[in-house]
Amino acid sequence: MSHVDDGTLHAYLDGELSPPEVQSVEAHVAQCPACRTRLEEERALIARAGELLAHATPPDRELPPFRPGDVKPPVRLWWKVRTPVAWAATIALALGIGTYVGDRGAPRLEPTAPERPTIIADQLARPAPAPDSAFAAQRQRVAERRKRVSKPAASPAVGGAIEEKSRQAPPVTADGFLASKAAAPAPARPEMVRLGTYADAMKGPPIGVDSARLLLGTDPLVVPDLQIRGMYRGRLLGYSAMVIVEQALDSTTVIEVLNGRPSRLQLGEVVVTGAGEARRDTQSPGARALLNTRAVDSLAAASRPAPTPVADEEKAKHAALGLFVDVRGPLPPDSLAALRRLLRPLRP
Amino acid sequence: MSDVSADSLAEIYRTTYRALVRFLYRKVWDAERAEDLAQEAFARAVVHKPENARGWLFIVAANMARDEARRAARERRHLTLLTAESQDGTATSDEVFQEEQERVQVRAALEQLTPRDREVLLLWDSGLSYSEIAAHTGLAPGAVGTTLARARRRLVEAHEAGEKGEHVARG
Repeated sequence: MSHVDDGTLHAYLDGELSPPEVQSVEAHVAQCPACRTRLEEERALIARAGELLAHATPPDRELPPFRPGDVKPPVRLWWKVRTPVAWAATIALALGIGTYVGDRGAPRLEPTAPERPTIIADQLARPAPAPDSAFAAQRQRVAERRKRVSKPAASPAVGGAIEEKSRQAPPVTADGFLASKAAAPAPARPEMVRLGTYADAMKGPPIGVDSARLLLGTDPLVVPDLQIRGMYRGRLLGYSAMVIVEQALDSTTVIEVLNGRPSRLQLGEVVVTGAGEARRDTQSPGARALLNTRAVDSLAAASRPAPTPVADEEKAKHAALGLFVDVRGPLPPDSLAALRRLLRPLRP
Repeated sequence: MSDVSADSLAEIYRTTYRALVRFLYRKVWDAERAEDLAQEAFARAVVHKPENARGWLFIVAANMARDEARRAARERRHLTLLTAESQDGTATSDEVFQEEQERVQVRAALEQLTPRDREVLLLWDSGLSYSEIAAHTGLAPGAVGTTLARARRRLVEAHEAGEKGEHVARG
């Protein structure tokens, strides 16, 4: 009788063979030492593969309740959302980067723009779309209607999904133990160092809140009471670790909070802020540099308001954590500045 | 054939949800995202009432994870060095760090498998039977064992190679 092939051995060990097949494998193995050895080898291989996979397991959480009526509508992906402010944001990006690159190191966080209304306040103050119970009932109705027509509608109601997500955040572990790990002291001539600006930060793969804490060594800063849509790894020259937290202002407006840990090589303390569109991967670094330079030139003569005391306080506080933080999104700079002042460590 | 009642779906939810989250986690590598996608897969199952709900859920989940990965790939071009240097200077408890390192290595090993081998391995580890895996992947039922044998061997070998040469550039 011919030897048993690997596939059959695995099927045998996995309990996936029919009784006659099992008999035939066992009969052969009983009188074939070579296959007996292989059987044990494959058994060990299966155990080892299982062990390895067990390392790639998400943290065990409580089983969320199952509610058949609780059908989430497809979440509109925010990067596909095109809002009218996109163009405004692009312009703000150009102006913003230029302005801040112009005098990096200066203790100014943002210009004030009195002619522009501060829209952020009323967005924050606006109550949630509907109370929880009413919202659930509405979703129940939607679900039932869908069952009848057995054809899913596509009404975007992102709120519920996100609320649920922010509730799922796991308990905090250590934080603050890195408070003493302030940034490296800043030597002279920071203007010689070509650091990326925050608006250049590249967005990487999604990560969980635990990984975010691990990367930063402390809680990422977020705007309190805003739904957290996700966290991503970021990448930016001059920072050894960066976490980008996406938060939703409303169903179509998403901001990003950038938490950066400066790398030890950083020569100057730089806080650069700017508004910007989230996606800018079509621009080459060279093109960006050019853009920055031009913006600096054109804005060199622009009036620069004095720093506000609040901004200094905020900066000092965040720097004490060893983090540099910024907010970007399709909003005017003063709104972003208002959000920046609200930032607090995430402590679910 | 028989419709999937809410009750039987609730039962499948109870027995399969965690496996589905684990399956998704090994594709998107973000626990919360995996849970979101698993929830969405079940929500879709409620609407579509598939005949073989369990197998259906894994197919839907695999598709969602693939869409997710495509998006991530677009944004990853500039991030190749990130994993290597990200831990720098960040003190944390050794245990957490070790566990994270191990996860990173297993992930790297998994990513060296062919997509089909990886899929079969992940589906088996999620509790699907050979016949369910065959239905999911289009493999002949007799080929599942062979594929699984190869996938396991490659996973273990890739992991060992990764442990030896920790600083070898990732592909």
